[in-house]
Amino acid sequence: MADPTEEGPDMTLEDRVTALISGEQFAMPQREKDAALASIMGDLCALVATGCPQYGRFLSRLGRPASDWTSLADVPPLPVTMFKKFALSAVPEEQVVRELHSSSTTGQSPSRIFIDKTTAFRQARALVSILKDAIGGARRPYLVLDVPESVGDGDTLTARGAAIRGIGNFASSTTFAMRQGGDGSVNPDWDVVSAFFSEHGDQPVLLFGFTFIVWSRFVREAEEHGHRFKAPHAQLLHSGGWKKLTAESVSKAEFNERTGAVLGMPATAALDFYGMVEQVGTVFVDCPAGNKHAPAFADIVIRHPHTLEPVAPGEVGIIEVASVLPTSYPGQALMTEDQGELLGVDDCPCGRLGQYFRFTSRVERVEVRGCGDTFAAKRDGATP
Amino acid sequence: MTGQYFQPGVAEPQIFEDLSGVIGGLRAAQPSLVAASNDDLLELLADFGGRLLRDPATMRLDGVVFLAAWLKRANLEGMLELNLGGREAALEGFIPLGEGARGTRIAARPHGLVSMWMAGNVPTLAAFSFIPALLARNVCLVKLADPEAGMDRILDVLARSEGPGVSGRELADCVGVVWYSSEERDLSVEMSRAADAKVVWGGRGAIEGVRALPQADHCVNIDFGPKYSIGMIDAGIQQDSEQLDAAVAAFVRDIAIFDQRACSSPQTIFVERGELSLADVGDRFAAAFSKLPPKPDLDAYTTVQIVNTRAQWALDEVRDVIASADGANWTVCMDQEVSLKEAIQSRTVFLSAVDSSEHVIPLISPRVQTVGIAFGDPDKAAAFAAAATLKGAVRCVRPGLMNVQESPWDGKLLINQLVRWVTLKP
Repeated sequence: MADPTEEGPDMTLEDRVTALISGEQFAMPQREKDAALASIMGDLCALVATGCPQYGRFLSRLGRPASDWTSLADVPPLPVTMFKKFALSAVPEEQVVRELHSSSTTGQSPSRIFIDKTTAFRQARALVSILKDAIGGARRPYLVLDVPESVGDGDTLTARGAAIRGIGNFASSTTFAMRQGGDGSVNPDWDVVSAFFSEHGDQPVLLFGFTFIVWSRFVREAEEHGHRFKAPHAQLLHSGGWKKLTAESVSKAEFNERTGAVLGMPATAALDFYGMVEQVGTVFVDCPAGNKHAPAFADIVIRHPHTLEPVAPGEVGIIEVASVLPTSYPGQALMTEDQGELLGVDDCPCGRLGQYFRFTSRVERVEVRGCGDTFAAKRDGATP
Repeated sequence: MTGQYFQPGVAEPQIFEDLSGVIGGLRAAQPSLVAASNDDLLELLADFGGRLLRDPATMRLDGVVFLAAWLKRANLEGMLELNLGGREAALEGFIPLGEGARGTRIAARPHGLVSMWMAGNVPTLAAFSFIPALLARNVCLVKLADPEAGMDRILDVLARSEGPGVSGRELADCVGVVWYSSEERDLSVEMSRAADAKVVWGGRGAIEGVRALPQADHCVNIDFGPKYSIGMIDAGIQQDSEQLDAAVAAFVRDIAIFDQRACSSPQTIFVERGELSLADVGDRFAAAFSKLPPKPDLDAYTTVQIVNTRAQWALDEVRDVIASADGANWTVCMDQEVSLKEAIQSRTVFLSAVDSSEHVIPLISPRVQTVGIAFGDPDKAAAFAAAATLKGAVRCVRPGLMNVQESPWDGKLLINQLVRWVTLKP
């Protein structure tokens, strides 16, 4: 296998990306990894900009030339919300094999992410590469703590569906634990769940669900109705916002403890990961020390809210996620609306190298301090 | 439920659970204020202004230099004359209404207690609100937005000021400065119920929140905000490069002050098509912004708004953007769309090209407060101002003066609104 940090004259961009995806995920020291990713990003972003003129304009107007990029932090990050405002595709329509949509709040357009064959292939391989490190490579019975409808069908997929399908690569069989009510509600089917654990409870099983659904629709319902299972070899992956749980004063430790108690598995078998539909395939999974790590083909840049420079360990800033997976849309460096704390570099007690961090909160709207009106003309209908 | 009461000369704020003590103290202090003459008050306030500039505790506070100039006797005298139509003596008692009034006499009496809710963007704002109220002989209960901004120190200096007929301490006793969390609705209800007049400076949430509080039937409501301000650069001024650069630099100062969160801060500036392209004008704004010192630390929310706006303008084929290389320091967004842009604030300006300044007039509504006018031709500027004010704008001023607190402000003569005109026909 080619060494991605030693790019030879014969190595194509594809070779370099593939080497990163196929190699060991958490073994590269940060400095080497940053240089490798920055070098790939220069070529990759130029390629994507060729196919996506909007992105080309973005790079030329807001960044330094790619030839000057020496670190991943030099790549101008595109805010994730831009996928809600623009159709950003770098490939012709006929090459799009799948369109991913984010969940959207009322009145907002969802993100639209255009996936071509290359990106889809890379995303699937990359996710397997990361999760193999966290949960091992064996296929096992898979219980989805969600409804079958969330996977959808056809070429359009939501964030929930993409995650369920992606983790499905580790499934020997798939069972959905929830049923959708006529009003769209998500309700546990305890008969199905009991049958699943009766059949597979004594062997390694894999569970996945969105954090709030796992908590509110499964764990608390189980507690309320006295359901307890015995799955000592289970592993639960979960992802999604903590906002509602934080509002209910539910800490991660409490979530893990009570979820473990319901499922009859160790609390440490509940693994939270950070990821988003705009970068499917790139997830940041909790290590045994409770920290999140970036895989070899991706990284985070936590930026200071004022200078936008990378913060030092121990500081909190706005999370940027960078990944060399996408070829069909400009998702290489994305500025999120989340905040995180950079905890350290190359020295996590778990032994994984690279930067490690923790998500701290969403960037919350602050109270308008002045007497200035931020809304110019919308409310009084003034028109030219 | 607790709040902080800032008393002059007392290092630590007093903690209170309700406002009855503060309100009682203010009511008790009013007679000495009512007994003071205009002359006594103006002398005392002039001394106060001088002390603010000399006192180490206040001399470096943001906005104090302007506040001291505003407190000068000539300025306040002019303000009284303008507000009361030359009948300033009516503040001291009944005066003849004039010939043809058949002996009718009038006086300007205070409302009583004025409750004031301050916005957090201008550290000295409370003074621009309570000084007019004091001149109208009202006592003031002032709720700060930011207890750390220095108003306690300003009040200390007022208490140490000296005048011929009334002491600074007596005047300071007529101002109760408090702070409590905006979550403490019961305290706001108490402030509102006690008020004979309410003055609110703030955004939509603050104005609507205070309006909804229960109040006495006779209570007078005076709101400042939310407002949006704009600029207009005509084609004429573009013919003189020096004049244009001076106007751009002045606009940039107007933008930078108060972090562009004041109702008088320009958000969208229209550029009439002339000798220069919009990009040229944008470059001049960028050059002027580059000379500013970095702004203080930003909250993450505002940064995200700035970063999103930059990207939105950069991705768009028919728009353009110039952004500071040093983080979220400043941003110039440019387009050809004749519209008012949603304000991002914090040194983010939108430049929009227009064929004619007349095309901007239909956008103006009572929501627009100040228009910064940079015109080469004074007659054209006057015609523009006449049309703009007819549509709702209340101030048309040269760039550089947009945030200069003056009377009338926001279309209101505050001192006049803080008195009751009463009559006597003996």
